[in-house]
Amino acid sequence: MKRREFLKLSTTAAGAAITVYLPAGWTPARAAGKSKVGFSQCTTLEPWRVQFNKDIQAEAKNHPDIELIITDGQDKTEKQVADCDNLIVQQVNVLLISPKESAGLTGVVEKAIDAKIPVIVLDRNVDTKRITQFIGGDNVAIGKAAGEHAVKLLGGAGKAAGNVVEIWGGMGTQPAHDRHDGFHAFTDKEPGIKYLLNNQSGDWKQDKAYDIMTTALRNNEKIDMVYGHNDPMAYGAYLAAKDAGRDKDIKFIIGIDGLPDEGVTWVSKGQLTATFLYATPGAEGLRQAAKLLKGEKLEPVITLPTMLITKENAPEILKKNGLL
Amino acid sequence: MTALFRLLSRTKLYWGLLLICLIGAVTSPQTSAGHNIFLSYGNLTDVLRQVSITGLVATGMTMVILLGGIDLSVGSVMGFSTVICAMLLTKPGWTTASAMGVPAAMLVGGAAVALAARFVFAGLARGRDVSAGPRREIALSRWRSTAIPGLLGLIAAIAIAWWTLNQVPTKFGVLGVLLMAPCLALVLGGINGLLIVTGRLQPFIATLAMMVSALGIARLTAGSDNAVVPVYTGTNATEAFELLRSMLWGVLPVPSVFFLAAIILFGAMLRFTTFGRYAYAIGGNVEAAKLSGIKVAQVQLSAYLLSGLLAGIAGVLFVAQYRQGKPDAGAGLELDAIAAVVIGGTSLMGGRGGLAGTFVGVLIFGLLSDILQLQNIDSNVQLVMKGLIIVCTVLVQEQNLGQLVARWQFRRSGAAHVDPKTADAHRLPSAAKAQFAREDLDEAS
Repeated sequence: MKRREFLKLSTTAAGAAITVYLPAGWTPARAAGKSKVGFSQCTTLEPWRVQFNKDIQAEAKNHPDIELIITDGQDKTEKQVADCDNLIVQQVNVLLISPKESAGLTGVVEKAIDAKIPVIVLDRNVDTKRITQFIGGDNVAIGKAAGEHAVKLLGGAGKAAGNVVEIWGGMGTQPAHDRHDGFHAFTDKEPGIKYLLNNQSGDWKQDKAYDIMTTALRNNEKIDMVYGHNDPMAYGAYLAAKDAGRDKDIKFIIGIDGLPDEGVTWVSKGQLTATFLYATPGAEGLRQAAKLLKGEKLEPVITLPTMLITKENAPEILKKNGLL
Repeated sequence: MTALFRLLSRTKLYWGLLLICLIGAVTSPQTSAGHNIFLSYGNLTDVLRQVSITGLVATGMTMVILLGGIDLSVGSVMGFSTVICAMLLTKPGWTTASAMGVPAAMLVGGAAVALAARFVFAGLARGRDVSAGPRREIALSRWRSTAIPGLLGLIAAIAIAWWTLNQVPTKFGVLGVLLMAPCLALVLGGINGLLIVTGRLQPFIATLAMMVSALGIARLTAGSDNAVVPVYTGTNATEAFELLRSMLWGVLPVPSVFFLAAIILFGAMLRFTTFGRYAYAIGGNVEAAKLSGIKVAQVQLSAYLLSGLLAGIAGVLFVAQYRQGKPDAGAGLELDAIAAVVIGGTSLMGGRGGLAGTFVGVLIFGLLSDILQLQNIDSNVQLVMKGLIIVCTVLVQEQNLGQLVARWQFRRSGAAHVDPKTADAHRLPSAAKAQFAREDLDEAS
C-alpha cells in the first residue's frame, strides 16, 4: 500500500471510530440521566475560596446522580457574569452562585430565574427577592462570639481588663465592619479593656498585619490580646511578636475563619489561642440543591453556625480533614 | 548668599529626610522609662527592614526609569519569586518550581560566566594593545571571543546542574533558593527586555503584559489548590532560612543588608562605569546615544534583566520575613517603587536622577509610614497622607514649587506696577527663570 493511501485510510477509520464513540462516551451525564448543577465561584485566589471549592467537590461525591460544573470568575465581575451566562446556556438544573459583588451579578441571576433555573446564592447575597435560597455565615454573630470569648479570657464580664490590639480586614469590606461591630458589642461594655490601635487595616493579609504588629510592639509595652479579623492576620501578628521575642507576653491571640490548614493548625500548635469557624457554604449548598432536585421545598435563608475552635477540639478537626 | 541658597536647594531632598526624622523624633511617644520610641535603634532598624523589599525593587526600577522606560511587572515577578521560593523550601522532588528553576539557573549561570569570561578577555586584549583608545572596538580571535567563554559557561552550567540536582530530592537550602528564584525572575525580566529591544514594544505595554502573565504563571506554578504556600521554618522548611530575617551581627537586619548592597553596588555602577554613563546618555536622548555609537539595546536589556533580578531577590526576602509565598504578594508594589523613585528626584522622562535619591525616597516613605503608625493614625487617613507626601516632595523636587511661589509673589508685587494686559505679567521675571534653568542644569550634571 502506498504511504498516502495508508494515511488516508487510517484517518478515515479513526474519524469514523471517534464519531461512533463520541456521543456515548463524552456525555455520561445525559446517558445516566444525571442532573446538572452549575456552581459559579467568584475567585479561587483566597485560601477560604479554595476550601469552599474543596467542600463542594467533597459533597458532590456523596451525590452520584448530580454532575457538578464549577466555574472560576477570576475575581472579575464580567468574567463571572459570562460564566453564569454559559451555565444558563448549558441548561443546568440548579444554579449555585457565590457572587463577587451584589450589584453586578443581580442581572444575570434574574436572567437565570427567567430561564426557569432555580438559583441558590452562597456567602454574599444579590439584590433580588426572587432567588430560591440564600446560604451564608453571619459575620456579626461571629464577631459577637469572638467578643464574648475575649471578655471571658480577659477576666469575665464586668471584671475584664487588658490591652487589645485589633487588626482590621479591608476597610472597604462589609465583613470587616461586621466582625468589628460584633466584637465591640461585647467588649465595649467592659471599662477595663483598652484598645491600642485606631482602625489599623491589615487588608486581610499576613504580611501587612506583621508590619502593623511590629510597630505596635515598639509602641506598647503591654499587649494582652490580639484580635485579627481573619486567621492569617492573627498569625502574622503572632510571627511579629515571636520575632521580637515577645510571643510569651501576649496572652491571647484570636482569629476568625478556622480553615483546617490555617487557623486550626495554628491553634493546635498553640500559636493562636482560638479561632472562630466561618464555614464555607459549599457542602450545605450542594445538599440543598440535591433536596431541591428531589422536589422538596427550601427555606429562603440558611445561616451557617459558627464554632469556637481551641486547642481542645482542634486535633479532632484536623483528623477529620486528614491533616493529622 | 546665593551660593548657600543653591547648596540648600540642591540638597533639599536630604533636608526633607532630616525634617521627617525631626518630626518623628518630636512627635514620637515615649516608653515608660522615658526613651524616645521613634529614635530607638530597634525602631529605626525595623523601618530599614520594612523598606528593604520595596527598596530593592525601587533600585531596579530607578535604572529602568533612568533609561526612559518603566517596569510595571516587578510586583508580579516578585510574587512569582515568592511562590518559587516557598515551593523550593517546602516541597521536595520535582515540582513545577524545581522543574523550572533548575534549567533557569543553568541558563543564567552559564550565560553569566560566559559573558564575564569574554569581558575579561576583552579587557586583557585592551591592556596589551597600547594604541587602543577607550572607545576602540577590540578584535578578539574566535578562540578567545566564543570558544573559551562558551566552554567556561558550559562548565558553570554543568556545575550548577550537579549542585541543584543533588538538592531536588530533598528540600532546597538557603543558597539554592537564593540562586534559583532570582534566576527565574531574571529570565522574566529578560523577556521584558527582549520584547522592548527587539520587538520594539513600548515599555509600558510590554511590562504590563508581563505583569498580567507573571501573575498567571505564579498561580499556575502554585497550583489551583494553593492560594498561599506557607513556609513554617523548622517544620516544613530548612532551619537555616531564618538567617534571612535575622540581625547580622546584631547590628543590621539581613534584608536591609541586601538593600544597602544593591544601592551601593548599582549606585557605583551608574556613577563610575561606562555602563552608567551610557544609561544617562540614553535616558537623555536615545537618538543621540544611538548615533554616537552606544549599544542602546544592550544597555536597555541589562536594565530590565537587573530589574527582574532584584524583584526576584525581594521575593526571597518576602518569604523569609512573612513565611509565605503567594502569587499576589507584590500587588501594588510596582506603584510603591515608582513613587519612591519619583520622590527621589528621578525624572520619569529619563536621563535625570540617581540611586542616592531613590534611597532617600524609599526612606522617606518608610519613615513616614512608621511615624503615622506610631501615632496610631487611621489606615484610611494614612493613605491620604502618603498621596500628599508624594505630591509635595515632587513639587519641591521638580522646582515647580519655587516657580509657583515666584509667580505668585511676582503677581502680587508686580501686578500693581505693570499693565495687567501685557502677557509678561503672568510670566516669571527673566532673571528668576534663568536661575531656575541653571539649577536644572546643575542637577542634571
